[in-house]
Amino acid sequence: MELRMRAKKIALPTFAALTALVIGAASASAADLPPVVKDGKISYVLTHRLWTVQSNDEKTECPKGMNTGPREQFHQLFPDDGKQRTVVDTYLKREAEQALPSKDSYDPFPYLEAQGPIVHGMNLDGKVKKSDFGDEEGHKGIDNQMYRAIGCIINFRGPSINPIWWYENEYVRRYVANRLMIEISGVDSLENDDDVTVKSYRGMDELLIDAVGDATGQVITPGGTQRIDERWGKMFQATWKAKIVNGVLITEATDATIPIFGRYLTTAVLPIRGMRFELKLTPQRANGVIAGYTDIEGFQRYINQSWPQHYHSNGEMPTISMFHAIDRLADGYPDPKTKKMTAISSAMDVKMTQVFIVPAEKPQPLAALTDRQQAAAQPAK
Amino acid sequence: MRLLGNIRKGIAVVALLSVAGSFAAAQTVQKYRPPVADLEISMNEPMPPGFGVQQTDVDGPVFTDARGMTIYDWPFRNQELGDPGDHKDNASKCTDVKTTVTSGSAEIYPAGYILPDLDIRPSCTQAWPPVLASADAKPVGKWTISERPDGKKQWAYEGMPLYTSNLDTKPGQVNGGMRRPILDGQPPPFRFPVGPPALTPPAFSVKSIATGRVLMNAGGLVVYSFEGDRPNVSNCKGECLKEWVPVLAAATAQAQGEWGVIERAPGVKQWTFRSMPVYTYILDKKRGIVGARGTSLMANDMPGWHPVYTQKWPDPPKELTVQDSHIGQVMADKNGMTLYTYLCADDAWDQLSCDHPTQTQTYRLAICGKGSADTCNKIFPYAVAPKDATTNNLLWGVAWINPKTGRLAKADDPGAIHVWTFRERPIYTHGSDKKPGDARGDSWGEENGLRNGYHAMWIRDDFFGLAS
Repeated sequence: MELRMRAKKIALPTFAALTALVIGAASASAADLPPVVKDGKISYVLTHRLWTVQSNDEKTECPKGMNTGPREQFHQLFPDDGKQRTVVDTYLKREAEQALPSKDSYDPFPYLEAQGPIVHGMNLDGKVKKSDFGDEEGHKGIDNQMYRAIGCIINFRGPSINPIWWYENEYVRRYVANRLMIEISGVDSLENDDDVTVKSYRGMDELLIDAVGDATGQVITPGGTQRIDERWGKMFQATWKAKIVNGVLITEATDATIPIFGRYLTTAVLPIRGMRFELKLTPQRANGVIAGYTDIEGFQRYINQSWPQHYHSNGEMPTISMFHAIDRLADGYPDPKTKKMTAISSAMDVKMTQVFIVPAEKPQPLAALTDRQQAAAQPAK
Repeated sequence: MRLLGNIRKGIAVVALLSVAGSFAAAQTVQKYRPPVADLEISMNEPMPPGFGVQQTDVDGPVFTDARGMTIYDWPFRNQELGDPGDHKDNASKCTDVKTTVTSGSAEIYPAGYILPDLDIRPSCTQAWPPVLASADAKPVGKWTISERPDGKKQWAYEGMPLYTSNLDTKPGQVNGGMRRPILDGQPPPFRFPVGPPALTPPAFSVKSIATGRVLMNAGGLVVYSFEGDRPNVSNCKGECLKEWVPVLAAATAQAQGEWGVIERAPGVKQWTFRSMPVYTYILDKKRGIVGARGTSLMANDMPGWHPVYTQKWPDPPKELTVQDSHIGQVMADKNGMTLYTYLCADDAWDQLSCDHPTQTQTYRLAICGKGSADTCNKIFPYAVAPKDATTNNLLWGVAWINPKTGRLAKADDPGAIHVWTFRERPIYTHGSDKKPGDARGDSWGEENGLRNGYHAMWIRDDFFGLAS
């Protein structure tokens, strides 16, 4: 029964997708455009998102090992030595310092920054600096201080029973609230086009999941449909000027906010200053990197308000120390008054799947109620 | 409309007289009448002498003791390192012992730390007086008698020991807890009001959400009514049926109480509630994801359509507003700034609450101000009410607060401020919110605010069911 229902669920959108493919084939104007590009537009939905953290050379990246988490730090601060301690002086104090991060928070612990020279990302400032990284393709000047800050934390790297990185990526797919989409318009070619426009939206629908799936059961099938969340999702809408070079979409920088809802029942979002996309495009997929300067306060809220303390501990994420590291390594958008950096260069590996964006139905305006009622009152034919 | 209401009540009485067994309306003397148009009717269950059923603003009918005070239970909940709370058919764990140290059951921290403000911390039974039974009390229906650790007899309902709350001082209050479902994750084991089931046909249930007691169909979808219908006549036909699904009744279904059955077409019957045909909305979803607890309310402001409540919450004060935000709608102050409630339970084995102004403020001042009231009042300022503001119900209210201590004050106390309250707890705005719809303080605090922290007052959430 379950299988039959699943097959039915898949069959309808697949039929829609095939129909759209046929229609798309008939209407594509440029000879080299795939049929999914309709009216010069192609859209993708986010199906995978991880902070860029290399994980194939731990000895180089984290030569002193991984950071220890809040549980270990707590036991170091307050050892089981028979002393009678109070809630106020121990864990309430630590929780308060985590909730309200400041450079004055007590933090005697050494912090292990990532040391490796290679990481994904983008050259955000156009410079090649000593603090920058390179990438595996030989690019220099990669700005990704977030990697330096979080690259030796199990929660972002693994292995762990309950790492945040695994859940976050799962929740990209599972939670509609995280349904980030881009629409590329003005597309004359998916190979080379020097002037396209990218718009981001939040979608409102479940993903189209392949009937067979891969080992994780998470193959997202191209050709699904998504309605735009025009009502609640306005904050996730942004526009970029962009070009396509040898099949890679490269956008300019725009301030944007992405949904990054962590554990269920939490509502954090993440502002990224000067956010950019660099995505290898195919008619079915758009894989690559989102980069920009992550707002520090936004990052703190996302960590504190998306993930409860036991996730911080299970993934050995020393939150107070990590906030200090991010504050220390922040390298973008200085506050005009204090000159203190308010954002940190960062990047996320992303995978997106082609999707057809359809307009959302809007609630009928009140003025139309009478007509609506009249129409509804007509006998069924 | 009032006439219709009287007719409905008349129907209910007829139903009571005509239907035997469990499908009958409760009869009870109300000591408080929520100021709403319609009240939920509950099943008439046998009760021991001295107990009653009382309407509440939040949770509809609840059981009360002889004073009219709401009765609660305390179901256990698995925590990281323990399971505080009562187990069904077992003796109460709430005793006269005054706890002084943490239990280590819920957090990453070991047990044995000294709890704050012990001078005002009650014992479990002072906070939650057990509902005691006389030596000769006899079980009645779902009501049984359990033996407390000290040998006294205590009433239990469906196997769970019963209590009242020292935070309730008037009939109709539910200051000790609400019936809304437990938040997932690692929240403390809250106490819940206990009440009789709502009077519904088996195909329906009633659920407490952030706006009232909403009616749901057997599939867990919210039920709506249509302004275009007339009493006992459905005008939703043709195009209308592309979006709206009539809740059909079995051929054998019978009208009972507020429930009726109409025939849409020969042999096709549809349920009505309070004379209006009921539907579900095709885009609503019952949340299937882990952690999402409610159904969506996608059509709650669709013109001409209304969710069907057995009983709505009283209207909030007119000075408060509703704002659109990034997951739905949220309560806000007159300037549109999102309102927050504060939730707290300590880590002692008896899991006493710490979010009421008569209780310790140490936890709150820590999580919003590192112990500083001044900082706290900037991070989460009190939602200030006009000095002459009043309310007409037990859900929304006002109180004078000493902002330096967070405790209750008198109007003429120096520095006292007049604040809005929700279930007698102050409500707050958040200093980082800059414009209407911002909710940056949501899920703030320990365990995403479930144990010691703040939550936005969501009244609609299309994604996670935070309002349902």
